[in-house]
Amino acid sequence: MHKSFSFWLLSAFFALFLLFLYGPMIAIFVLSFQGPTGGMTFPMRGASVHWFGDLVASTRYGDLAGAFGRSLILGLFAMLVTVTVSFFAGLGFRRRFRGAGALFYLAIAALVMPGVLTGLGIATLFQTLGLSTNWLTSGLGAHLTWTLPFGLLIMFAVMNRFDRRWEDAARDGGATPVQVLRLITLPILAPGLIAVALFGLTLSYDELPRSLLTVGTRNTLPIQIANLTANVTTPALYAIGTLTTLLSLGLIVAAFVAILISGRRK
Amino acid sequence: MKKSMKRGTVTRRGALRTLAAGAAAGLGGTLGAPMIWAQTIRDVTLMHVGPAYSIFPDIAAKASADLGFKVEMQNAWTDAIMARVLGQPDTIDIADLEFWALQRIWRAQKLQPIETAKIANWDKITPLFREGVNFDGSPMSRQGTLPFKVQYVAAMGDKTFAAGPTGLATMMPTIFNADTLGLRPDLVGRPLESWAELLSPDFRGKTALINVPQIGIMDAAMALEAKGEVTYADKGNMTRAEIDQTIAALIALKKQGHFRAFWSSFDESVNYMASGEVLIQSMWSPAVTAVRARGVNCEYKGLKEGYRGWGNGLALMRHLDGLRRDAAIEYLNWMLTGPYGAFVARQGYYSSVPETTQAALSPAEWDYWYGGKPAATEIKDPFGAVMEQPGRIRDGGSFEARVGNIRCWNTTMDEGEYLVKRWNEFVAS
Amino acid sequence: MSPLNMSSERLSQLQVAPLAILLTLFTGLPLLMVVVLSFWPFDGLEYAPGFTLTNYAEMFASATTWRTFAVTLRYAAITWAITLLIGFTVSYYLVFHVRRVKVQIALFLLCTIPFWTSGVIRTISWIPFLGREGLFNMALMKLGLTQGPLDMLLFSDFAVVLTYVNLFTLFMIVPVFNAMAKIDRNVIEAAHDAGATQWQILRDIVIPLSSTGIALGSIFVVTLVMGDFLVVRAMSGGQSSSVVSAMKNNIDQLYYPQAAASAVLLIAVVLAMVTAILRIVDVRAELSR
Repeated sequence: MHKSFSFWLLSAFFALFLLFLYGPMIAIFVLSFQGPTGGMTFPMRGASVHWFGDLVASTRYGDLAGAFGRSLILGLFAMLVTVTVSFFAGLGFRRRFRGAGALFYLAIAALVMPGVLTGLGIATLFQTLGLSTNWLTSGLGAHLTWTLPFGLLIMFAVMNRFDRRWEDAARDGGATPVQVLRLITLPILAPGLIAVALFGLTLSYDELPRSLLTVGTRNTLPIQIANLTANVTTPALYAIGTLTTLLSLGLIVAAFVAILISGRRK
Repeated sequence: MKKSMKRGTVTRRGALRTLAAGAAAGLGGTLGAPMIWAQTIRDVTLMHVGPAYSIFPDIAAKASADLGFKVEMQNAWTDAIMARVLGQPDTIDIADLEFWALQRIWRAQKLQPIETAKIANWDKITPLFREGVNFDGSPMSRQGTLPFKVQYVAAMGDKTFAAGPTGLATMMPTIFNADTLGLRPDLVGRPLESWAELLSPDFRGKTALINVPQIGIMDAAMALEAKGEVTYADKGNMTRAEIDQTIAALIALKKQGHFRAFWSSFDESVNYMASGEVLIQSMWSPAVTAVRARGVNCEYKGLKEGYRGWGNGLALMRHLDGLRRDAAIEYLNWMLTGPYGAFVARQGYYSSVPETTQAALSPAEWDYWYGGKPAATEIKDPFGAVMEQPGRIRDGGSFEARVGNIRCWNTTMDEGEYLVKRWNEFVAS
Repeated sequence: MSPLNMSSERLSQLQVAPLAILLTLFTGLPLLMVVVLSFWPFDGLEYAPGFTLTNYAEMFASATTWRTFAVTLRYAAITWAITLLIGFTVSYYLVFHVRRVKVQIALFLLCTIPFWTSGVIRTISWIPFLGREGLFNMALMKLGLTQGPLDMLLFSDFAVVLTYVNLFTLFMIVPVFNAMAKIDRNVIEAAHDAGATQWQILRDIVIPLSSTGIALGSIFVVTLVMGDFLVVRAMSGGQSSSVVSAMKNNIDQLYYPQAAASAVLLIAVVLAMVTAILRIVDVRAELSR
């Protein structure tokens, strides 16, 4: 019972934190339902879905759907590559090997290199090699310089204190390396891998500085939005925020439900 | 000679459209060659990369429909366009650049000159670009990058600009405007007539400057000069001493809390003004419109020291040749035929060919945007939303009154590197 | 040992090979280009291959360089302290006070949802809150706490740090939560039974056992702040500049060699900071236990 005071204190803290976290998002959500004459700030001038309609009806927003699609596809690719590559790299780093330090610091360098410079460097590299930049090649590569170090470091956190005796026991019991991986290692690390996946997807989906010079002739969503701030100053910008958040959230929830269902069938 | 060639293509195009409409019969044997040309030009896709105020999906769609090949547009910040022209030229076919950018990137030879004879409406382009003269034939201000200074080259492959018309253009001029200060007449409380007001102690903590070094310093210079604090030989190409004087004055003002903010993007300038954070600041014409659209009174005030001008043009990338270059020239020609000029007119920018723009606008629109006359009807923005009520007069008045009073131009200075260094110092101070 | 007769070092090298290839291609080579570029001469209009130390000499000689580094480091330090406090408290609450795992995961996911809105939009959405006519100022004046609107709320260091904390706290929560969740409850029960106070348990068990998470979260937050230019531009109203926003000014002007030189300095400084963090907590040490 004596715990209850700190419990309530911390609950209040957590609630305040959520309020702080959600404040801007709620503002975006509410303001996207501004009336047709409303601006990007409070007060509300009526409530309407005018700005959502405008997104569809007006051509001033450019190829938003295409940009959203590209960002999502890019995010999914970045997620797949990040999960796979970080998972194996995480396994590899459990043993000492030559070059471990160098590789680790290369990953840290990727993390600390300013995004605009990474983009510039990759664009210059492609130019030197005579390759043209494209969102799925240089764009993906640029995003990976961001998602891979995150993935690797989270794998470190996940694999810490991972008891390798489970694997040893399975191997002693006659399991093949693939079986050990599939039946022991993966299930134990699954929650961590989901965290890596989410990070990979979100970081890529929202990445702007690394994309600017590397996506070639097709804009991704963050570039499109940043460009729109150059000539759109209406709540339509918030409507884009609301819409893309709901869409991507819906997709994630759907994906997780699908995974849960398929998992249960086994 | 070349002109008639050009006309030839236009007629062929007309004929082809008829052909496509199914009226091929009896058009004669000369169509053999164009047929092949037509079949392949349809596969051409041109990528036009430009800043947000020039890139419109509606225009791309209309151009594609009229021309028979595909025009795609991508918008990007001017600095990103310059970087891509230099670093990834093959991701662009047509670069939509401000004239001062040519001073930075022309000599890298990633762009190719345009034969003016191939541009049907070239002679209708306002003399401001073609000859560097004002409406009355007097020379335009050469402070800063007067487009004329970088408009021509003497020969293919030249890295430097020609002093006068040569028949080879670096870019085809498209849109331009005269910029001034935006202000809130309801809150400043008295009539303002001079750029010096930007630095008036009355507005301490309620002013803003654009955070682009060479433009921000020019707005500051207009104000300092109007105030009589600093005199400049050429505001568009300051000496180190002039830059030092200007930055010193700006740092002193910043320390006094004179500036509320420095804006980097259009929406910031709109929000500063609409929310009352700022009463007088550097501003772009569509930003003033956006503030007014919120029912907030905002004026793009013509001041007695004149305007700061800028212009954009379309440049051909060097890698374009053969069929693709022909298509690009077709597209450039199309851009001067009216629809694009009318589109940008409705966001307050002028077209390089007012004549075709007039034909594409309604008389009421023309009178409002170019004539400086009271709006006869409701004035709509490019996307069809009502933006001004009848009776309203455009700030600063007519085309001639605004453009004719341009006193300096957006630019790249010789001491640009030093300027950016000092500007960074100012922002960090 | 291994059925494939592969030495364990070989196996490790094989497992990290994809990472090594990708990072070499997309970080190693571009980084090399940036370093090379930082030695190229610049003639006022363009740069060309060559070797000069001018870019570095000018950078080190300029007081602005040191001032922007100081400003950026201060942002990083303040943001780090606040995100650590919030991140640790939130994780502690989720792990030790929320008993049911499902509720725990649900609340954790609740923290991640805002990250599905564009960072650009979430940054500018603070303006309606903080402006002169914003919600905070309206509330303050209604409550009679202030006479006129407070200018320091928006376009100030306060606004910058607030936005950083809002955007980056999750990067602290994820690793700290992860580390704490793995602490064996029995250890805490045992300590409790042995008469340890809550404070002692926190200090001697929880903090040491979540140190890996804290270190990783710190690395994330510090690198995010040190590499930012968008937030500092938008929320300081352009009134201050960070290292990268000054660098972005140079890049916008195509002054690549100067930008490259300051990038090299920045990378060196941040690498040193990360190395210092790793000196205190070796995140790789526990892997091979």
